[in-house]
Amino acid sequence: MSNIGWKDVLTDDMPVDLAHEIDIFEGQMELMGQGKLDEKVFAETRLRRGVYGQRYDNGQRHDGFESRELEFEELDRIKGPDTLWHAPGMQRIKVPGGGLSPEQLDVLAQVADEYSDGILHITTRQDIQLHFVHIEDTPDMMRRLAAVGITTREACGNSVRNVTCCHLSGVCRTEVFDATPYSEAFAQFLLGHDDVQDFGRKFKPAFSGCESEACGLVMMHDIGYLAQVKEVDGKLKRGFKVFVGGGLGTVPHQAKVLSEFTSEEEMLPLVQAVARVFARLGEKRNRNRARIKFLVAKLGIDEFRRLVEEERKTLPHDDRWTAYLDSLPQYEEKPAKPPTFLNGQVRSTEFNQWFETNVYSQRQEGYSVVTVNLPLGDLTSKQTWELADVARKYVGDNVRATVEQNIVLRWVSDSDLPSLYEDLKAIGLGDPGAGTIVDITACPGTDTCKLGIASSRGLAGELRTRLTAKSASLPDAIKDLKIKISGCFNSCGQHHVSDIGFFGNSRRSGNFKMPHFQVVLGGRWRDNAGSYGLAVGAVPSKTVPEVVDIITNRYIDERAKGETFQDWIGRIGKKEARGMIQPFMQLPAFEQEPDYFSDWGDPRVFSLGDIGIGECAGEVVSLFSMEISPAESEAFEAQIALDENDPARADALAYSSMLKAARALVRTQFLDVGDSPDRIVQEFKTRFFDTELFFDQYAKGKFGQYLLDRHQNPNPNPDNDSAHRLIEEALLFIEATHACESKVGGNVLVEI
Amino acid sequence: MITPHRLSVKFYFEELSVDAEAFIPVFHRWIRENVVPNELLLDVADYKHILDGPAILLVGHEADYVIDFTDGKPGLLYVRKQDLGADLSNALDTTLSQALNGVKLTESDVELQGKLKLRTDGATIVLLDRLNYPNAASNGDSVDTAASAEAHLSDSLAALFGSDATVARVDNDAREPLTFELRAPSAPDVDTLLSQLGTGN
Repeated sequence: MSNIGWKDVLTDDMPVDLAHEIDIFEGQMELMGQGKLDEKVFAETRLRRGVYGQRYDNGQRHDGFESRELEFEELDRIKGPDTLWHAPGMQRIKVPGGGLSPEQLDVLAQVADEYSDGILHITTRQDIQLHFVHIEDTPDMMRRLAAVGITTREACGNSVRNVTCCHLSGVCRTEVFDATPYSEAFAQFLLGHDDVQDFGRKFKPAFSGCESEACGLVMMHDIGYLAQVKEVDGKLKRGFKVFVGGGLGTVPHQAKVLSEFTSEEEMLPLVQAVARVFARLGEKRNRNRARIKFLVAKLGIDEFRRLVEEERKTLPHDDRWTAYLDSLPQYEEKPAKPPTFLNGQVRSTEFNQWFETNVYSQRQEGYSVVTVNLPLGDLTSKQTWELADVARKYVGDNVRATVEQNIVLRWVSDSDLPSLYEDLKAIGLGDPGAGTIVDITACPGTDTCKLGIASSRGLAGELRTRLTAKSASLPDAIKDLKIKISGCFNSCGQHHVSDIGFFGNSRRSGNFKMPHFQVVLGGRWRDNAGSYGLAVGAVPSKTVPEVVDIITNRYIDERAKGETFQDWIGRIGKKEARGMIQPFMQLPAFEQEPDYFSDWGDPRVFSLGDIGIGECAGEVVSLFSMEISPAESEAFEAQIALDENDPARADALAYSSMLKAARALVRTQFLDVGDSPDRIVQEFKTRFFDTELFFDQYAKGKFGQYLLDRHQNPNPNPDNDSAHRLIEEALLFIEATHACESKVGGNVLVEI
Repeated sequence: MITPHRLSVKFYFEELSVDAEAFIPVFHRWIRENVVPNELLLDVADYKHILDGPAILLVGHEADYVIDFTDGKPGLLYVRKQDLGADLSNALDTTLSQALNGVKLTESDVELQGKLKLRTDGATIVLLDRLNYPNAASNGDSVDTAASAEAHLSDSLAALFGSDATVARVDNDAREPLTFELRAPSAPDVDTLLSQLGTGN
């Protein structure tokens, strides 16, 4: 093998902080391999790098007859509880606001074909996921992504997930103002922020520019920002209506209004205060009740708001709260071409069909947004770099992923639309029907998800094929209905906010289990996911296409003039709605309908045996455990630097590892210690050294003195001997930190 | 030469119309019956909704078997991902022998009933390793690497597929991996090829 790796090749291209974080993660992988990291700590660590588990990674797979062991090598080597090291997993890649450049698309395509199965999957939160990835490949993958400005940090785990933003922001005809730069500032501010490291569960933010449209979906998010303008002292001020405590999952919650108007200056401190309240009071042990929606429900929105307002008063000032405002006036998207008009050009029937559903006329005259309709959110590596070229040709950097698992090209000069359509068609991406009943959203389900019960993608593919075949004859009344499918009750497919939603479950018939989908009717996608649907009953998976026909036909027949699907469902009521699907709820025996006992696209006799322990919830590990882990990794890196005959780097890393360990310990008592070495050492000395809490029974203060000495007297010219000594001291110091934390019991006192 | 990160070979079906969906139960059975020696088979992925791309994947630990329609040409694509061996020669031997074994399994599968035949007189070989085998035409080192790889593949494949076999670098986009086309007008059949590779029955 070559001695030159991506790390060497990309050194000058990666932001220093991202490069360092990836090195640390690689060190943690090495330590895990040596059995020197706790499995839960490592699991949460990799989740916070977006390195996620995947179906069968516990080494078990049901083949339709029996559950069989998958004989991976080193079966005793794990990367988390019940998760085998060598089993392939999923890599989630954060894409804030879905914003992508052609250069980023190029690299995403390349890492997909070198490290996964060559398919890029757009998620319902504007992320990109790659599947069947080996963990050893992840550091280099991250480096290649970092070199084009993409981080996977905090893409999974109990952290702030991708910050989503309406894909039409900035060009929307109904928005109050462009929420994009605010969502970017928000994402940047919270990435790796100290106050978001100790959550009991994930935290999903969303931004939207207008109230009535769907795109931002703020009502179903942990925190949602809705653009508002308010007159203050005679001047128009920008700000946001802020929602908190929304969420789907098993029990969906509509978000509550936390603030009718939060000014742009207060946008970041407000979320910081919310994060602190959530970290302090949110549930940590029972993962089923650990999302912020449960805390808001438990406290009531008024008490929650009071606590946030109190917290806000105690926050130490941070210049970043308002620093981003200086750059707002300069924020603009640059169209690649001047505005033009689609006027008098010959249009084919095919083009017209595509134009009707996939083209949105921007508020900027002469420009349109084109939706690239991706079947099931998938595109190949080849299509991805071909799409990058299409973007370069027509729109430059103005590309975004959407929460409906599509990609949009913004700022298309209108006269380019016919040629753009031809170019998309040539690469297999010219499907019409974006945003209509054929554009079905589905989570990964049993294809790859450990929690999947039924095949959401299999069903979505089947429905898409059937509906597309008859799309030309579909009545207008149902053309724009939304169908969304989740593989289980966790709602990743967002079934609660669709007209016709499904989530996977199962029923028993005789000695066999049959894949089913619960039917959820009448959810509202518009109004930012304005209301949730009604669960009316579960039907066998194989009957769902017929069920869709029954429901849509009845709606066509019975609806009053102008009556929406939601209104119609509300009018007929749950009993009547259930009556529509009742005939499908009688379960045949295996001998009568054996096909009913396997799922779409999967001929195996259906089983629940492959369901594993999901990693959506992350691992509940202490803040200290999470923060001491990078210290250990840095001490390990220091040893490598010494092996590479680089004593200066070894010395710096060893010192840094001690600082990180001391900081982790100090933060069990004092969250706001900050990053200054002087402050960390001072707080460590005052709280743990001078009090002798850090002292060993026999060695007394010896280990703590290592840090104090190195901090006070740095060696200007470290040689191999001195660096080696400092590494040894760092290792002892880290061990003593662990011992002290155990002795003190962590979190004995949280001081603000 | 250095072992590439991944190496793939695609053999093409004689038939231009292939029912990808038929491979879903076939591949599930291959997993259940553990039909591929020395490889751990894991799952089947269904991407048949994608036009002109990988349609059905038999995902394994060491390798993937793909019913692939890229560029509208149906074929069996074998992607070696792990345990490629110590150098390019080893990787090529391993990849070819396992890919040809996949060809044989496909042609003889009971459910497919001998309806599908794969050609051995041509194949596409891809070095999925942009670090060690870049596909850039402008860089001197890259050109040397590509030329060396081409020479290496030519020698190895001529010995196997016949003296008139030729290997040519595909003039594809620099972002794509380094790709070669094998043309082998007098290529022997699958069994002979496997026998020459020392992996025949």
